[in-house]
Amino acid sequence: MTAVIDTAATNTPATNTPATDTDVIDRRPISTRTAVELRGVGKVFGRGADGVTALTGVDLRVEPGEFVVLLGASGCGKTTLLNLVAGLDRPGAGTVTVHSGRPAVMFQEPALLPWLDAGRNVELPLRLSGMGRAARRERAGELLDLVRLGGQARKRPHELSGGMRQRVALARAIAATSSGAGSDSGGGLLLMDEPFAALDAITRDFLQGELQRIWRTTGTAVLFVTHDVREAVRLGQRVVLLSSRPGTVVREWDVADDTDRAQLTDEITARLREVISTHARA
Amino acid sequence: MRAPDVVEAHPDVNSDSDAVGAGLDALDTPTAERTPLPRRLLALGLPPLVAFALFLTVWQVVWASAVYPEFKLPAPIAVWEEFVAIVADGSIWGIAWTSVHRAVLGFAASVVIATPLGLVVAKVPVVRAAIGPLLAGMQSLPSVAWVPAAVLWFGLTDTTIYFVVLLGAVPSIANGLVSGIDQVPPILPRVGQVMGANRFDSARLILLPAALPGYLAGTKQGWAFSWRSLMAAEIIATSPQLGIGLGAYLKQGSDFNSMPGVIAAIFLILLVGVGIELLAFRPLERRVLRARGLAAT
Repeated sequence: MTAVIDTAATNTPATNTPATDTDVIDRRPISTRTAVELRGVGKVFGRGADGVTALTGVDLRVEPGEFVVLLGASGCGKTTLLNLVAGLDRPGAGTVTVHSGRPAVMFQEPALLPWLDAGRNVELPLRLSGMGRAARRERAGELLDLVRLGGQARKRPHELSGGMRQRVALARAIAATSSGAGSDSGGGLLLMDEPFAALDAITRDFLQGELQRIWRTTGTAVLFVTHDVREAVRLGQRVVLLSSRPGTVVREWDVADDTDRAQLTDEITARLREVISTHARA
Repeated sequence: MRAPDVVEAHPDVNSDSDAVGAGLDALDTPTAERTPLPRRLLALGLPPLVAFALFLTVWQVVWASAVYPEFKLPAPIAVWEEFVAIVADGSIWGIAWTSVHRAVLGFAASVVIATPLGLVVAKVPVVRAAIGPLLAGMQSLPSVAWVPAAVLWFGLTDTTIYFVVLLGAVPSIANGLVSGIDQVPPILPRVGQVMGANRFDSARLILLPAALPGYLAGTKQGWAFSWRSLMAAEIIATSPQLGIGLGAYLKQGSDFNSMPGVIAAIFLILLVGVGIELLAFRPLERRVLRARGLAAT
């Protein structure tokens, strides 16, 4: 399934992107080798002089099954970017093309429904996509097993620890990627907005490992937002550095299995500090 | 600056991270301690019993000191005898039934009217701007103020009584639902939105369950309001075809200058109101709150 979010720039004036770009509706044959593609994406909040440019000229491709980390300091528009891909917001300029069905979103907080137990929280996206009761219960059981929470399905969110809740949220997000139209186009897309930022260091370390394992198992594409360089280098196959106010892509790094991660962390950290420093002068 | 080595999770260390995960879960899971049932009952039941016994003692002492004349302050035993008398001749059941079935019917009708009203006020900005303040203000208007108007419009009929009960209960139930919806954390509707829930599913599966605690608090208050509105209506609007409810029974005691009768009626009104709250609303509210980890025990 393919969803093209077309952006004839009707509602948002004043972007830095040339107007010719924004009027084009993307009708090219779609490559099956992309899960999501952003071309010249810009977004301005507010109008006129008071408007805040959150994003400008962002080009980004995520391939099916790829793990891409967006890295940036506060105000780089990371969350705006995820909202655009998730379809919660519309770009002011450029195109956002999602080829992988409805993307699933995981937030910084677990955002579980407190009146439903863990199993029913995982079932929710399956229920919304119209799956039968028995089938979705079975699927939810498999997904809870995947995040090592088999046997905890009848626990309510308040009976679980922070890390366990976030794993339930992960299972729910994976249920959302695999439910409905996303499943036939290869794995779906998982958007993660600093999902481990609120956890303690030990739990975060454990969950980063778990996410890697689950990503390898499910083959879903991941677009992961963080402000932690080490987390970015540990998790991502590709790290994309964004500048702040307005957010745009500064540089990308590929992370291979044989990359010296410690050295790469230092390099990216240095570059990030450089980007942040420019704001002191501005 | 060198970053310390990070632990890599590879399939071959799977069993290891399984153990780490199990350990973290065991350490971090909140532990809930439950006191045994007899002790909880004792802690819950004893204080009100002691308070009531103290109240009776003070009453008895004041009566025995004969500061007030007997027709103003009867002995506790006189009130008890009045109560025993209406139990013995069976009239208490008729009196209580008349009032309780009116209150329950009126309350049920109020819930049916107030729920869609509250939903519309909460979710449609124009409607909220138009009648929101009025709905909130209605709560501070004592519903007894409607009785004279209702008597003129509908006469001394059941319609008068139900009209007053509705005007007492509907605003507080609707307001409870509105504040319940206002207090839903914004992240929860977003969860539904990113999963592609349509408006109907979002209301049914996310918004209404999330607003349930506030809604229940509103209906509990709505019950209290419908009960006291009913008493006000029954005391003022008395006629043979309306029968004798608790309010009329109270009025009767007053008309006959029977202070034991008046006090017995007040106790009965209190007993039914508190009893229904304790038997129906308290357990329901506790169940809902406990399921969400919000109740103390």
